[in-house]
Amino acid sequence: MNTNRRVFVSGLAAAVTLASTSIVRAQGKGLIAIITPSHDNPFFKAEAVGAEARAQELGYETIVLVHDDDPNKQSELFDTAIARGADAIVLDNAGADATVAVVKRALDAGIPSFLIDREIKESGIAISQIVSNNYQGAQLGAEEFVTIMGEEGNYVELLGREADTNAGIRSSGYHDIIDQYPDLVMVAQQSANWSQTEAFEKMESILQANPDIKGVICGNDTMAMGAWAALEAAGRNEVIVVGFDGSNDVRDSILAGGIKATVLQPAYRQAQIAVEQADQYIQTGSTGLQEKQLMDCVLINSDNAADLETFALSS
Amino acid sequence: MRPTLQISVFLLSSLVALGGCKIVKNADPAEAGQAEEAQTDQARMAALAREIWEPQVLPAVADLLAPLADVRAALAQDVDAAGAKYGYKPVGEASAWNFGVTGTGVIVETKMKSRAAKLQVDTVGDGKPDVTIQLGPIIRGTALRDAMSFLSFTDFRDQIEFAKLAGGLNAMAHENLMIPTEDPIGKTVSFAGIYTFKDVESRPEIVPTTLTFGAP
Repeated sequence: MNTNRRVFVSGLAAAVTLASTSIVRAQGKGLIAIITPSHDNPFFKAEAVGAEARAQELGYETIVLVHDDDPNKQSELFDTAIARGADAIVLDNAGADATVAVVKRALDAGIPSFLIDREIKESGIAISQIVSNNYQGAQLGAEEFVTIMGEEGNYVELLGREADTNAGIRSSGYHDIIDQYPDLVMVAQQSANWSQTEAFEKMESILQANPDIKGVICGNDTMAMGAWAALEAAGRNEVIVVGFDGSNDVRDSILAGGIKATVLQPAYRQAQIAVEQADQYIQTGSTGLQEKQLMDCVLINSDNAADLETFALSS
Repeated sequence: MRPTLQISVFLLSSLVALGGCKIVKNADPAEAGQAEEAQTDQARMAALAREIWEPQVLPAVADLLAPLADVRAALAQDVDAAGAKYGYKPVGEASAWNFGVTGTGVIVETKMKSRAAKLQVDTVGDGKPDVTIQLGPIIRGTALRDAMSFLSFTDFRDQIEFAKLAGGLNAMAHENLMIPTEDPIGKTVSFAGIYTFKDVESRPEIVPTTLTFGAP
C-alpha cells in the first residue's frame, strides 16, 4: 500500500508537470479517462455522459474512450490513459478476468481505477467497484414476470454474454424466483449475447419450435427489443416480454402496450458516483468507503415508465 | 474464509473417523482444497451461512432488535436518523436501511400453501395488516445478509457468490422456524426478525428469526 501510495504521488507529480506545460487544464484538477463499451447501447452512452458531466462539474478535463468489449482494445486504451497522465480512470470493463491485468498496470503507473456496472474477479486493485444490485433487480423483474404470467405457462429465457458476470447473476436471480412456481415451464434458454439482432433471430427460430409460449424473460433491454420485434412480426403481440436495464426504447414500448416491464439500473447516477469517489481519492488519497458497492435497481412497468429518462427516474 | 472452511472440512472428517471407530485417513489439506473448489457457489455459501449462523448472525440480529413501534415512530420523523439509531446499511449511496424489530400482533391473513408462505399481521389493533412475516421456504430479499455489519461484498468473489450467501442465510432462518401445521389465522404471533426498509407506506416484509404463536 505504501509503495503504491508513493508511486501514485509521483504519478501525480508527473501529471502536474505535464499540466504546467499544457494550457487546456482549465481548473488544474487533472484528467479523468472514461472508458466504456460501445455507445451503440444507450446504457453505456448514459454512463459516459453521466461521468463526463460530473467530472467537468468538478473541474476535471476528460477523455472518453470505448473498448467495444474487446480486451485488446481496452488494453490499448489503458496505455493511452497512462501516456496521457490521467489522474483516474472510470471504467465499465471488457471482461471480469481479462481486466484484472490492465487495472493492475494502471495502478502500478500511479493511476487509480473506479469501476462501474461490471465487476472484476479480484479485489484490492481497483479503488472502487460500484455495480448495480443485479440479483436484487432480477428478482424484482422475475416477480413481475410471474405475476403477469399468472404463475403458469411456457416461457423462454434469453441470456446475456456468457463471459459477463451480469448475465449469470441475472439468470440466477430470475430462476431463484421463477423456479418456485412449478406451473411455469422453461421451454427454451439461449444466449443472444446482449444483442438486439441476435435476439430477433433466436426468437424467430424458438417460436417455430415452440409456438405455445406465453412469455419471454430477457437478460437486458436490447434483447427484449429484439425478441419483441420478432414476436410482433409473427403476430404474437400477446406474449409477455420482460427486460432489464431501463432503456428509453423499452420505456416507450411499455407505454405503447408492448413490452410489459423492465428493471432500471441507475447507470447515469452510478457513473457520477464513480467520478465523485475518484475526486475524493485524488484529493485525499482515500474514498473512505469499501471497494465493492451495490446500488439497488427499481422495477419499471406501466405505473412509472413515464417518469423514466436516460436511465434515471424523476421523482 | 477459505482456511475456516478447510478447518471445518478437516474437523468433519475427524468426527467421522471417531464416530465410525475405524481408522480413516485424515483428509489431505490439498485434497480438501480441491473438494472445496469443486463445490458449487450455492453449496459453499450454504455451508458458510450455517457456520456463521449461531456464533455471528444471531448475536448481530439480537444487537439490532428494537420494538417495531419505536422504529416506525423514528422512521416517520427522519429516515436516516432512525437508520443511524436502530438500523444498519451496507456501504453505497442507494443501499437501504435494514432494521431488527420485535412485535406482537394478530394474524389477519395467511398464505400457507405457497412455497413463499406468508403471514399478514396487525400489530396496531385496527384489524388491518401492517407487517408481513415471511415463512418460506422461499424467503424474498437479502435483508439478513445486508443487516450484518461483518459481511462485506468486497470479501466475496462476485455478486453470484454474495447472492448465494443471502439465500443460505434465508434458508437458515426458515430451517429454524417452528411453523404450525394448522393455518394460524386469527391467532396472535410474537416475532423478532429483520427487514429492509423501502418507504414509510410499504409494509415491512420481516424475515423472522423467532416466532411464537399464541391463542387468539
